[in-house]
Amino acid sequence: MSLLRFSGRGIRPLLFSICFLALGGVVAQAKELKLEVKLIWGTNDEKSPKKEHAPVDEATAAKLRKVFPWKYYFVEKKVTGVVPSRGSNQFKMSGKCSIEITELEGPRVEVKLIGKGEPVHKAIKEIRKGEWFVYTGDDAKREHGWLVIITALDEK
Amino acid sequence: MKTELMLKLQSWVDGELPESEARQIAELVRTDKEAAALAEELRVTRSFLTGNEPEAKLPESHEFHWSKIQRAIERAEAEVPAREAVPWLEAVRRFLVPVSGVALVLFLTVVSIGVFDDRKPAPTGDDPMSQLVEEQTLSTHVDTTSYRTKAENMFVVYIVNKDGEGDEEDADADIDWEEEMDVPVIQ
Repeated sequence: MSLLRFSGRGIRPLLFSICFLALGGVVAQAKELKLEVKLIWGTNDEKSPKKEHAPVDEATAAKLRKVFPWKYYFVEKKVTGVVPSRGSNQFKMSGKCSIEITELEGPRVEVKLIGKGEPVHKAIKEIRKGEWFVYTGDDAKREHGWLVIITALDEK
Repeated sequence: MKTELMLKLQSWVDGELPESEARQIAELVRTDKEAAALAEELRVTRSFLTGNEPEAKLPESHEFHWSKIQRAIERAEAEVPAREAVPWLEAVRRFLVPVSGVALVLFLTVVSIGVFDDRKPAPTGDDPMSQLVEEQTLSTHVDTTSYRTKAENMFVVYIVNKDGEGDEEDADADIDWEEEMDVPVIQ
């Protein structure tokens, strides 16, 4: 009886308010993923043959030098984009190379490297702010190399 | 005096004996002193009880008292069918409406605060499960090697083009930026 009385006029505004807040929470929870994808050229030559290339900042270069064999690094392209919740986004890095990122359930994402329209490699992992996900390759003599660096701008 | 005679005497005093017996007892009382004394005693006792019996009086009239009782009975009988008149489905609906409302609110609240959400807080990096990576090389033209550098917080996938590996002529060629960057992995 008390429950029936509880559902009367007095409680209705409160129930509506709680529903509204709860729905707001559900909507807010479906969070998109902000990412930055950079295509970087690594070389031992001090100057890039491409004039429009800008060298990476010194902190980035120092970090890359600890992992990769090249002395100098230049930014070929930088793309910032959003991957919708439970959706995908493709980041076109060059005419034939792109990165497709899919937001998965839980903390993981799927990263796919696509070359000439064909998938080359796929990785499913957690993506954390501050961590770099890097695809890299080089020429036969390893004098030059390319890097695709994916970083999360926000914590998932 | 016999008990049977004493009882008859009492009945005679109360006027309950048939006429023939009453005449016999009257004759007995007239001739027998013991019987006459008992009859007198019984008459005194009877008159005493009759004159002093307490009389209970109602504070209201007799008719009004009974009509009140009647009205109370009629009212009670009328309430019982009224309660039974509510169909069970209606009773269930009355109960379910507020309960389902509360359940919906609780469900939405629980979902919104992420009780059953498998998204975990940002891992510290020490959690081995957070380090797991599922990998798949999808092209037959490349080999891949992956490694993690904890010091630099970097996960690297190194891609080697199998078809172009050891191609000295190609390696020595002048760098064509468009070609290099457009086809970083596959020939």
